[in-house]
Amino acid sequence: MTSIANRRRRATMGRVWKQFRGSRQGMIGMTVLLLFVAMALAAPLLADVRELNPVFARAAGNPQWAPPSEFGPLGTDHLRRSVWAQFVWGSRVSLFVGLAATVLTIFIGSVVGIVSGFVGGRLDAVLMRVTEWFLVIPFLPLAIVLASVLGRNIWNIIFVIGVTSWPSTARLVRAQVLTVKQRLFVDRSRSLGASGFHLVGRHILPNVSGLILANATLAVPISILTETTLAFLGLGDPSSASWGKTLEEAFVNGAIIRNAWWYFLPAGLGILAVVLAFTLIGRTLEEIADPRLSQGR
Amino acid sequence: MRTDLSPIVSVDEVSIFFGSARAVDGVSLEVLPGEVLALVGESGSGKTTLIRAIQGLQQVSGGSIRHRDRPEQGSTDLRADSGVQMIFQDPTGALNPRQTIYDIVAEGLRIRRDGTDEEKRVGDALARAGLRPPERFFPMFPHQISGGQRQRVVIAGAMVMNPILLLADEPVASLDASIRGEILALMRQLVDDTGLSILAVTHDLGLAWNIADRVAVMYLGRIVEIGTTEQILEDPQHPYTRALLSVVPETRRMEQQILQGEIPDSKRIPAGCRFHPRCPLYRSGDLDETIAARCTTEDPHLMLGAGWHAACWAVDPQTK
Amino acid sequence: MGVPNNVKDTPEFLLSVRDLNITYQTTRGPVPAVRGVSFDLKAGDSLGLAGESGCGKSTLAAALLRLLPPGTTTSGEVTIDGQDLFSLSPGGLRAVRWTKESIVFQGALHALNPVQTVGRQVCEPMLVHETEASQRAATEKSRNLFERVGLTADKLDYYPHQLSGGQRQRVLIAMALACDPDLLIADEPTTALDLMVQAQVLALIEELRRESALTLIFITHDLSVLAYVCERLAIMYAGRIVEEGQSLEVFRNPAHPYTRALAAAFPTIGDPSSRLSPTGLGGDPPTPGALPPGCPFHPRCPLAEDRCQDDEPGLRVAGVGRAAACVLI
Repeated sequence: MTSIANRRRRATMGRVWKQFRGSRQGMIGMTVLLLFVAMALAAPLLADVRELNPVFARAAGNPQWAPPSEFGPLGTDHLRRSVWAQFVWGSRVSLFVGLAATVLTIFIGSVVGIVSGFVGGRLDAVLMRVTEWFLVIPFLPLAIVLASVLGRNIWNIIFVIGVTSWPSTARLVRAQVLTVKQRLFVDRSRSLGASGFHLVGRHILPNVSGLILANATLAVPISILTETTLAFLGLGDPSSASWGKTLEEAFVNGAIIRNAWWYFLPAGLGILAVVLAFTLIGRTLEEIADPRLSQGR
Repeated sequence: MRTDLSPIVSVDEVSIFFGSARAVDGVSLEVLPGEVLALVGESGSGKTTLIRAIQGLQQVSGGSIRHRDRPEQGSTDLRADSGVQMIFQDPTGALNPRQTIYDIVAEGLRIRRDGTDEEKRVGDALARAGLRPPERFFPMFPHQISGGQRQRVVIAGAMVMNPILLLADEPVASLDASIRGEILALMRQLVDDTGLSILAVTHDLGLAWNIADRVAVMYLGRIVEIGTTEQILEDPQHPYTRALLSVVPETRRMEQQILQGEIPDSKRIPAGCRFHPRCPLYRSGDLDETIAARCTTEDPHLMLGAGWHAACWAVDPQTK
Repeated sequence: MGVPNNVKDTPEFLLSVRDLNITYQTTRGPVPAVRGVSFDLKAGDSLGLAGESGCGKSTLAAALLRLLPPGTTTSGEVTIDGQDLFSLSPGGLRAVRWTKESIVFQGALHALNPVQTVGRQVCEPMLVHETEASQRAATEKSRNLFERVGLTADKLDYYPHQLSGGQRQRVLIAMALACDPDLLIADEPTTALDLMVQAQVLALIEELRRESALTLIFITHDLSVLAYVCERLAIMYAGRIVEEGQSLEVFRNPAHPYTRALAAAFPTIGDPSSRLSPTGLGGDPPTPGALPPGCPFHPRCPLAEDRCQDDEPGLRVAGVGRAAACVLI
């Protein structure tokens, strides 16, 4: 009967896509996101990676603090590096960190949420206390401490974001699991002799997956912003150019005082656009997963 | 098929307490092979708790529940036994909206890793539940079929396991009136064709008249009367059964005895006969003084034996 | 109340419904929920409306109070005490609701505000509609109302969750009676209740009707309940009245094949013909959006003939004060 299952899955995907296409905000978000993804993938074609290296930039005879009119398309910074190259290559790091940290966040959050909600009892109490503990400790200081203890490389940044931002996902998933667990079909399956794994795999997970997906798309912008924040505070990976790092360097080296808008504006707008795109997509998916949301508006 | 006439399930003096609430308070009951037994009562009578215990989803506080085909006597976990299956009140809720009808019916087989002839067995079960041709229903989802068909899918999902006992919790209460009869007819037909037994929990005396061989009436955690359907519905002895029957709109008009108030809290079960504060016989003051005294002090127990049984001092032949 | 289309609308009727059509506008197009319903009620009458889910009975009840969701199209006429319901101003409508007609819903827990005492909730309509001058008068009236519906006065200070299902239903009835309405609409008021509590509530409604000449519309899917509560009965199917008449007669001797099936759905206990042989209709009630052609009942009708697929039969006379919509009559 796998063919039925496959056909069904395709039908579901088709239905979601059809609804998604009907949403203007969703399509705007999708278009913007695809543009940035294309840019990140095509980075080697759009800008020479050596342009990020100050030694190379000096050797190439780039001007310093050049506005876009003098050095296209986005001018140079205090180290004569091309801002365009930083923008293009920075999108790779920002998107990668954002997505990878989200995967980690959602994974931890879903596992904790499902185990907590499904098993219940004392384990639920313990897990929820831990979750609350993570929720109430101020996030930024914890991230800063973790980042400085673990060292500044891209994987540590991902780890830091992942372990600090899962609690809200866990609580959301747990609440949904508790609702699904009450449904009669879970009772029916239980009375047929189903094990916990069967119940979670066949009944709980399919009924919370929509919510998890929507939550994931909403978690990406938070991860990107967190990466930006950490990089801006000087806790980013020094060897990779992310948008956050560009902002930090622009700020530290007085781009604002010099009115060198071309230095910080592209990265700032890039973050804004990607964050907005993910939020729009996430909202749309959320509305499709839970029709009550769109009716309320 | 009906060679072994020993009871399929024997419930012996079972009590189930939740804290100080005595939800089920000493119930004995047997389900015989090939019979439909209706367990009738209002909400708060403990009937649903009892059926959950028989199903193995609820621990008992006292007494025992024995299943004929299970060697292990102590265990109450029926989940190891495919011989007992459930039918639910709300078929819509009992079906996972994200599964196809095929997957829903096949679920029990898959849980037991019993994959031989899966497609044929699923098809047979659907056909037996009246969904023909079954292949048409395989790829459908619960929301694509009607309420009556959904209940048939639930029944097919139980029948695919070849059960000897179906536990039915208000099987037609949430269905439309015109569909009700169809589902009841199907249940009766399954009993007559395959020799399985059904224990149906309901507040609906019409259901009992339609399909049950025997009726047990529960009040406040106790069975107060049990007998054949004809005995209980045409010649009830216990004053509670009489009152209940008198207010069924479908009954040929007998004089209504509307009891005052509602079933008391199972945390505060009245002393003596638990029904006496609401009992029309007791309250009428016509009772013999010695009997009335017993009503307030002694708990009348239901004796199991031949014929009808009512837990009431006033109709007890020995007291009379 | 009488056979529609040949009774003139005269002021003697408290409620008069003329050719009422209600269509919901959904994303999948218009869905006709009520199609051409007409009936009249004199003061003191009681009418039972029976039918299954989707037959339009609850939509009809909501329409009688103009409680339909926005975007619903209605045509036809509803006159209550001589006033045209659909042309009332918002103020006039508020006055009609509660003081002329009021409704008791099923599911008494959802119809009550969980954070207010039931006493306050009973007083509220009286103060809003100024049928009682002061809080004290309203409280006094609530006390009387509670007594009338069989609740002790101390229950006024209770919150809804502290009451049982039957008690909450009594509170709802007390609320509906707060402004002394002429017409009480009861929409499945006993469906969620146990047998004995249902009997208590039915007895209460009967008693209230006897004491105060209340006009009653009682809606349920259980024909047998209606047969004993109401004088007249109207059976709805697919948005139309398919049979009407004096209730015990309709129940015991149905003319329309659908009524016959509905009446047989709940067996008469003690009747040997229904013992161990439950009867039901095949198929399911039609979805209002996709009605079969001709008589909407014909796909499920045991007596259907070829001509039933052609035209939808109107109500025709089927005895004294009785009408049914079936070509076989």
